Amino acid sequence: MLLVARKNLFSEWTRLVISVGGVALSVFLISLLLSLYRGWDEKVGGFVEHSNVDLWLGSEGAEDFLTAASLLPTEGKEAEQAKEYLNAYPSIDQWSPMIVRLMQGVRVDRISATEEKIGSKIDIHFIGFDPNTRLGGPIEVIEGRDTPGPGEVIIDEKLGDRHGIGIGDTLRAGGRDWTVVGKSRGGDFIATQTVFVSHAEAQAALRMQGATTFYVIKVRQGVDPAQLGAALEDQAARNEAPIVTHTREEFAKSTRDRVTSNVLPILFVVLGLAFIVGVSVAGLTIYTATIEKAREYGILKAVGFRNTYLYRVVFEQSAVTALLGFAVGIGLTVGIGPFASDYVPQFVLFTRWQDVLLVAGVTVVMALIAAYIPVRRLGAIDPVSVFKG
Amino acid sequence: MSTVLRMTQVTKTYGGGDAAVHALDDVDFNIEAGEVVVVMGPSGAGKTTFLTIAGALLTPTSGTVEISGVNITALSEKELPDVRRERIGFVFQSFNLLEALSAIENVTLVMTEGSPKSRGAVNRASELMNMLGLGHRLKSLPRNLSGGEKQRVAIARALANNPDLILADEPTANLDSKRGREVMQLLRQIAFEMHKAVVIVSHDHRTREIASRIAWLEDGTFRPDVATDRDPVCQRVVEVQGSPAFSYESRSYYFCSTQCLELFKADPAQQLAGKRQ
Ligand SMILES: Nc1ncnc2c1ncn2[C@@H]1O[C@H](COP(=O)(O)OP(=O)(O)O)[C@@H](O)[C@H]1O
Ligand SMILES: [Mg+2]
Repeated sequence: MLLVARKNLFSEWTRLVISVGGVALSVFLISLLLSLYRGWDEKVGGFVEHSNVDLWLGSEGAEDFLTAASLLPTEGKEAEQAKEYLNAYPSIDQWSPMIVRLMQGVRVDRISATEEKIGSKIDIHFIGFDPNTRLGGPIEVIEGRDTPGPGEVIIDEKLGDRHGIGIGDTLRAGGRDWTVVGKSRGGDFIATQTVFVSHAEAQAALRMQGATTFYVIKVRQGVDPAQLGAALEDQAARNEAPIVTHTREEFAKSTRDRVTSNVLPILFVVLGLAFIVGVSVAGLTIYTATIEKAREYGILKAVGFRNTYLYRVVFEQSAVTALLGFAVGIGLTVGIGPFASDYVPQFVLFTRWQDVLLVAGVTVVMALIAAYIPVRRLGAIDPVSVFKG
Repeated sequence: MSTVLRMTQVTKTYGGGDAAVHALDDVDFNIEAGEVVVVMGPSGAGKTTFLTIAGALLTPTSGTVEISGVNITALSEKELPDVRRERIGFVFQSFNLLEALSAIENVTLVMTEGSPKSRGAVNRASELMNMLGLGHRLKSLPRNLSGGEKQRVAIARALANNPDLILADEPTANLDSKRGREVMQLLRQIAFEMHKAVVIVSHDHRTREIASRIAWLEDGTFRPDVATDRDPVCQRVVEVQGSPAFSYESRSYYFCSTQCLELFKADPAQQLAGKRQ
């Protein structure tokens, strides 16, 4: 760093703190929002991505997991035909029906035989899975039993944490009271969490006898789920019982998009504002510092320094300000990342190194813009002016 | 002797048309190494214009300016900063030090551009500052220095790149009379001992004491009728016009009185040797 740049920058601590603070705030906001976005993206798509289901089969219009807007028969002529077909299909390893229903539940504490205390409302994804194949079931059971029997549920650990529900507690959902017998991991959609029961129990509780939400399929080793999906769609179309199929990747993506497509435009606006804040604070402090030192820049010109040298002096100040701000801002984001969701459950942060690089690039742009206006002023300083008074 | 600064038929006109100001009008000026020339004249006479043209900060409307044999009026705008840095030392009325830099950093800056720390630059700067009586002030910030000390730092900076030409603009105007006198003595020493050409623009009549010659600027021209020179015998500045004169080794010498003239005539070599001491 050039001597003049270093001395100018570090001789005024208040100004330095303000400009570094401005950049840091901006970097913090940008990286926080990006991490939040990634965190949500990761969570929302995570269940579909990590589940053992290779191919999702739903009724027409069923495009994502969250809304689970699908209804298919499990009984009757059409269902029997389909089952036969699936059983006979060589590239299918296993298949099962799976029920997914978005609903509200409550925690119930029995105080006596007649008295009970009802907890606050809990948004859940109520899932009925086939305990034999476990397709679409809990991704990882971390506590208690891994298969819910009649009247029993396995809840996501995040739901338990958030609402203080543990094994042995009672959850009222779908018109019934369920006893929690296990806890699983990987079913947190931030706004909702998974609650697993057996498929038969789900059908009975939700009055869905003879129906299911999805058919979920596990393919044999080496089979392309997309090809299988296309073949199944063709077959169903020929039988005039149209269905849609989604591979794991497609289904995870459309599930993510359901949430993020609404958030993205807002995110971009806020990111833009954060960027403007950073540029403005850094730009203004560097600009005023340059204007205040205009005479000194004139002196440097008079004694034989070129404009390019002065530009470098200002740019280095801007760059170092930006660098310090970047370090502080990213440090804050990375520092609070692991703890944020302990205090605010929705604050799920996931900081990727690619995003850190992106923010670094953004900070460089900030430094360039912040230096640009003062640099233009430098060119106009007349060295002859330093001969006066 | 070598001519360090030679200005030939230099004219500077600001603006144009009816509003044109002829700040310098067909000016010739020479100064040699070892000389101190004080430029005096009323406000608006063109002194600053003269000094900034001599200092490669302003290009004349016409005429040529040569510094150490290089015609700087033939150089492009981009080449002038290097001329200023390498060939000219500036001393300003308001010192013009960089406030965030220590005294010695103000001096080394112009040698190294302040990028890498150069041993050589630091050595030379401390040597110069010791010579100027600033040995105990190397690390001080300008705001902790007295006016006289600041001006001496500025002189050290002016000497840093060992230029042939020193240009000083009212160097004593912001100093009390004692400090002003010290600074003038320093400038005189620099001319005589370090063999530099020193041009001082000043209103201060005490600068007469150290001048080899005084040049009167008025309405953009030097007035030959008030051309002055220094009496080589008694060291007084005398007006050229009407003073007793004598030519020796193809240079004219002027005297305050016939007594000084006679003393000189008796042994010019010895008188001139005396002046050098
Ligand atoms: N940049 C300029 N534009 C127009 N006129 C100027 C400019 N600088 C100086 N002048 C004019 O030129 C004349 C000489 O100015 P200057 O060299 O500053 O004189 P001095 O230093 O002897 O007071 C003055 O009449 C002044 O008004
Ligand atoms: Mg002036």
